[in-house]
Amino acid sequence: MTPDHGPVTPAEPGTEGVPIARADARRGGLVGRLIKSSQATLLLFILVFAAVVAVRNENFLTFANVVNILRDGSYIFIIAAASTFVLVGGGLDLSVGSVFALSSVSCALFMSVGGWPVPLAVLAGIGVGTLCGLVNALVIVYARIPPLVTTLGMLYIARGLTWVITGGRGTQSLPDIFGAIASFRVFDVPMVVFYAAVIGIVAHVALESMRYGYDVRATGGNREVARATGINIKRTTIILFIVSGTSAGLAGVLMASRLTSGQPSIGQGLELQVITAVIVGGTSLFGGIGNIAGTLLGTLMIATLNNGLVAIQIDPLWQNVVIGIVLMLSVGIDQVRRARMWRQAARGSARDA
Amino acid sequence: MLDTQTQSTATEAPSLRAVGLFKSFGHVQALRGASLEAPRGKVTALVGDNGAGKSTMIKIIAGLYQPDAGHIEVAGSAVTFSTPGDAVAAGIATVFQDLALVEVLDVATNMYLGRPPMKGIFVDDRRMHEDAADRLQELRMRVPSVRVPVGMLSGGQRQAVAIARAFAQGSPIILMDEPTAALGIRERRHVLELVQELRDQGRTVLIISHDLETIFDVSDYIQVMRLGRRVGSRRTADTNRQEIVALITGSAAADEEELA
Repeated sequence: MTPDHGPVTPAEPGTEGVPIARADARRGGLVGRLIKSSQATLLLFILVFAAVVAVRNENFLTFANVVNILRDGSYIFIIAAASTFVLVGGGLDLSVGSVFALSSVSCALFMSVGGWPVPLAVLAGIGVGTLCGLVNALVIVYARIPPLVTTLGMLYIARGLTWVITGGRGTQSLPDIFGAIASFRVFDVPMVVFYAAVIGIVAHVALESMRYGYDVRATGGNREVARATGINIKRTTIILFIVSGTSAGLAGVLMASRLTSGQPSIGQGLELQVITAVIVGGTSLFGGIGNIAGTLLGTLMIATLNNGLVAIQIDPLWQNVVIGIVLMLSVGIDQVRRARMWRQAARGSARDA
Repeated sequence: MLDTQTQSTATEAPSLRAVGLFKSFGHVQALRGASLEAPRGKVTALVGDNGAGKSTMIKIIAGLYQPDAGHIEVAGSAVTFSTPGDAVAAGIATVFQDLALVEVLDVATNMYLGRPPMKGIFVDDRRMHEDAADRLQELRMRVPSVRVPVGMLSGGQRQAVAIARAFAQGSPIILMDEPTAALGIRERRHVLELVQELRDQGRTVLIISHDLETIFDVSDYIQVMRLGRRVGSRRTADTNRQEIVALITGSAAADEEELA
């Protein structure tokens, strides 16, 4: 065999598939991709729901209320962006709601009891989240306890510590300058929305275009294959949980700023809203598949439902029922779509073989 | 068709040696002082019955397992691989039989897994897909698209992608674990052509196979393992199937120098 039967040689008959051409390497058009994506259904759902609510309540689609939805969604989204990485990387972090609360009250206590200056208390509050994430990471990677169990443990530990250090009561009121961190408004939009936007962009770029995002996808797609190709799966996993804890810490500090106090009861069930936002957005529970744009839509769906159901005076007690149904429907539709896609591909391969 | 990386390997592909490897899994002794030599720029076949220790050997060379005793040499100097990343960094690419590809990722991403082309701090996704398409075309391999998830491909197509990855990464030393096991006749012939092309590019190839036909078609040297150690080394041109089968089954005595 000589090496000179180069690119011009026609392919042998009987080898499978069709010839690869360079043109094939291009992505489909933006519109084509959008229509095919699982997120189109979700976007449609949000728009239809918003339209229905807007007809019944004229205040729903006002600028002020849309900003409210965005603000409420921002706290979920900051954590959900990190959780998207965790799920794509084949992990799961159930502790984010508790870590959110622990960081929030810690930051408040550093100021109210410790008398720390605001910047130091903010950094230390976020650091509490980072520390929780680091503990999760080390237990998962070195003690080899599954993420579900480890972060469930951390859910209890962080929530318990939150109650212990506050004695179950909210802290005293915090300085206005601290309150401005989340609530200062630019163009009538609170700062927390801008923070969430910046975090979303950074997370999107990191997941889609940076080496770390590729390593996370490979690790979540198949740990053993990723390891065999030289990817440092331990380091990749450790960073995942540290970033997740840090994001919960940041959101917690911002919530303390919004409330200008530390409240130990916040964030209960937040981890479920976060995971719902991520999964509804098309991220797979089994790793490897997912993106930040989907998580943004998933977050908007939850925030819009929460706000809209109140706007049309449906008993708030029904909200969770609706969110649960939407979660099941969206994942169900997505699975049917994927199964059909795979069947078509399988037929294609069989025909070409 | 060679890029600069593979051209440089044409003159400098290192040899690969394993010296006196021992490896136990619980009570099972998979390797008992096994050695191996793969001369530079040649195709060496590693043969043996099930349980002879071939897969353990290749996994140690790829950095997936660490030996209990013994060592690996690349180009004559001893190396230690604590992780698969160390082996990749030493220029060893492995086409694994069972852990080759990430099903949910597309063809191009799989071909550049662990070392995607970069543009500054960003992965050059466009170049990665174009290069993958070029590489597959050069190798006359056919898959529906470089953007199709590998999970949608047939067994033969997957094997093609796994081998194309070894080409694409430009590694001077290539290990292949049963590269023809899942393939039909035409696909098998194509893979053997690719192995010869790797040798013609000057790379060092170590190929594990059960299939004696494959081995005699493609290899320059044959090393036979039995019960966790090497029992014979032959130039392919100087031996025949009867002798190799006898060494594999143990009906011929192991070479004396192997028993030292």
